Amino acid sequence: MSFAPHAPTVETPDLILRGYQEGDFEAFAAFGTSERARHVGGPHTRWESWRAFMAGVGHWVMRGYGMWIIEHRETETVAGRVGILMNDGWAEPELGWHIYDGFEGKSLAYQACLAARGYAAQHFGLNGVISYIHADNTRSIALAHRLGAFFECETSVLGQDCLLYRHPQEILSKPGPLNTKGTPDD
Amino acid sequence: MTITLNIPRLETERLILRGPQESDFDALAAFMADTERSWGFGPEKDRAKAWRWFALVFGHWVMRGYGYFTMEYRETGQPCGITGIWNPEGWPEPELGWVVYAGYEGRGIAREGAERARRWAYEDMGFTTLTSNIVPGNDRSIALAERMGAVYERTYQNVEMGEDLLFRHPGPEVLS
Repeated sequence: MSFAPHAPTVETPDLILRGYQEGDFEAFAAFGTSERARHVGGPHTRWESWRAFMAGVGHWVMRGYGMWIIEHRETETVAGRVGILMNDGWAEPELGWHIYDGFEGKSLAYQACLAARGYAAQHFGLNGVISYIHADNTRSIALAHRLGAFFECETSVLGQDCLLYRHPQEILSKPGPLNTKGTPDD
Repeated sequence: MTITLNIPRLETERLILRGPQESDFDALAAFMADTERSWGFGPEKDRAKAWRWFALVFGHWVMRGYGYFTMEYRETGQPCGITGIWNPEGWPEPELGWVVYAGYEGRGIAREGAERARRWAYEDMGFTTLTSNIVPGNDRSIALAERMGAVYERTYQNVEMGEDLLFRHPGPEVLS
């Protein structure tokens, strides 16, 4: 459970982007200890993962936006995270995505990123965001291209070299205020 | 969007205990980077990592419904430490924790804040017992725990701090 609604719920055909629940942590920690986490500063111990999980919740409180939990509608399991990150040390808000084992190759990341990017543009006033991608992360680079993002420059974040991709501006359906209240998830 | 946590505001003679605010971060980061002071709490010289720990404080309130307050010194209006109930995954039990920043030590502030937080935990949150985890050698914290009536119970391995001493506070039935 969580004691305070912290993230709006966003639905797509296959996915539900929602706030964090205690029961999501096992999937989060499994990703953190896996080889797949090497592009996001890992692998992480369970304790490091717990801190990161809670910091993910706190990011929503501090910034008013953050990374959603991606729930796979059909299996009701956690398929990854997607959303906008602006940790200390970030030059500007970043669209980030982590897809967990077993959920790759189904276009779920693409679906999640489109939904998150669109929601952020419409409701958080974050349009034309960036993605930091490690040069070796060919899958993420391919996805960035598919999302219409362009390579902008080489940069570094927290001392680690990476590539900066710029996403296209979303066309807003109507001019929205910067702080639209989302739908609480519980 | 704006997210409201409804963290209570608690008052003492010299302190206000309130929810953390982004503007508290510089004082916290300075404390964490000052390893002579923070070694027994969780030293962190890297500002970006300290920020993530601060974000964790917010997340802890959301997921647990309790957490660390910022202690604000009434006279200066500045953050002078943190205190509250902390219960990360892997912790043996919820603990009462406290930290006082440079320049605010030796005035009984930690005790004033921690006792107020303890009273809140018992009276408003319904905790029936509380512990404090203290790293061996942190004599100031041990002395404060004992002044507050806490008693050494056992030594255990903390997931973050390694060897750790568990003190148990008097329960609400004793204090009320």
